[in-house]
Amino acid sequence: MSLISPKSIFAVSLMVSLAVLGGVSLAAPDKYTLKVPDGLSFSDFKGYEGWQVVSLAQTDQVLKAIVANPTMIAAYRGGIPGNGKPFPDGSRIAKIQWTYKKSTEAPFVVNVPDKYQDIFFIEKDSKRFPKTSGWGYARFVYAPASDSFSPDGKGSDCGYACHTKVAAKDYIFHPYQKR
Amino acid sequence: MSVTRKGIFITIAAALLAAAGGVAIAQQNKDTVAVPGGLALSEFKGYEKWQVIGASQSGNIIDVIVGNPEMIAAYEAGLPAEGKKIPDGARMVKIHWNGKKHPDFPAATIPDTLHDLDTMVKDSKRFAATGGWGYGQFNYDAASDSFKPLGTGPGCGFACHTKAASVDYVFTRYPKR
Repeated sequence: MSLISPKSIFAVSLMVSLAVLGGVSLAAPDKYTLKVPDGLSFSDFKGYEGWQVVSLAQTDQVLKAIVANPTMIAAYRGGIPGNGKPFPDGSRIAKIQWTYKKSTEAPFVVNVPDKYQDIFFIEKDSKRFPKTSGWGYARFVYAPASDSFSPDGKGSDCGYACHTKVAAKDYIFHPYQKR
Repeated sequence: MSVTRKGIFITIAAALLAAAGGVAIAQQNKDTVAVPGGLALSEFKGYEKWQVIGASQSGNIIDVIVGNPEMIAAYEAGLPAEGKKIPDGARMVKIHWNGKKHPDFPAATIPDTLHDLDTMVKDSKRFAATGGWGYGQFNYDAASDSFKPLGTGPGCGFACHTKAASVDYVFTRYPKR
């Protein structure tokens, strides 16, 4: 009973294509040309919108989703960093931060994303970033008025001082959450 | 440099712990648990890898909402919107965790244990009585590392979601990222 018809394959393909096109049209036109001076390129993280979620976090100011590329997810699922091994080169992780507000629609009290604030990127390349334990860091700030991002600071070490606190976890704060 | 017996023991212990960790990630009764007369969790197979739609926080619960490719396509097309319908086959899962302070960064609340999964699937024929959506809640029991269905039937979320009936019963928006 589970025969897949060519028509349904076409329909699914079409939807997937539309999703891909939709992603492109929703994105700010120039974000993948951005670069932190002497640091990471936004394009190193192409496709992060579709990456798997690692975890979430909330502070007084923001609600954040942490997502990672397939290389990094595979490493997490293999037991890294709890097993004492480092993440492999090519691991990439992004932290998307929104300010939040009380939902005006939900019938119970719940905070939901309000405005997009900024995105943090970290990538592992032990040859390129030997001075910062193999990780390169970047932050891009989102400006709603112009619907565009701008790089924060310069260089690739903006997060290193903070992340040394979790050096024993290969400098990564967030474990992969059971789901 | 000779390999010590202690070294071998540590290696084996580490491998066993890694294997146990792997098993703990891929749990238990996901393939079989179902709400009596309602949704089976297996209808949402693969949700662990679905794309993030949004996130929210309520009391000590922190959650992420993920969607299958059909649901993400609907969002990318501008849904939910007044008077518009989400297509059949769209599926969403809201993963609720209990919150805790991050041990290394206490200003942040992060997931602790898994609390439950809330699921929604659009099938306008099968769920005609509940606005075209079937709902299911699966509570996670940490002691047995398994899920337990809540209630019976596919209507558990309908009363609550009628508040969003004009936008096809979907509360969650797709925030920019």
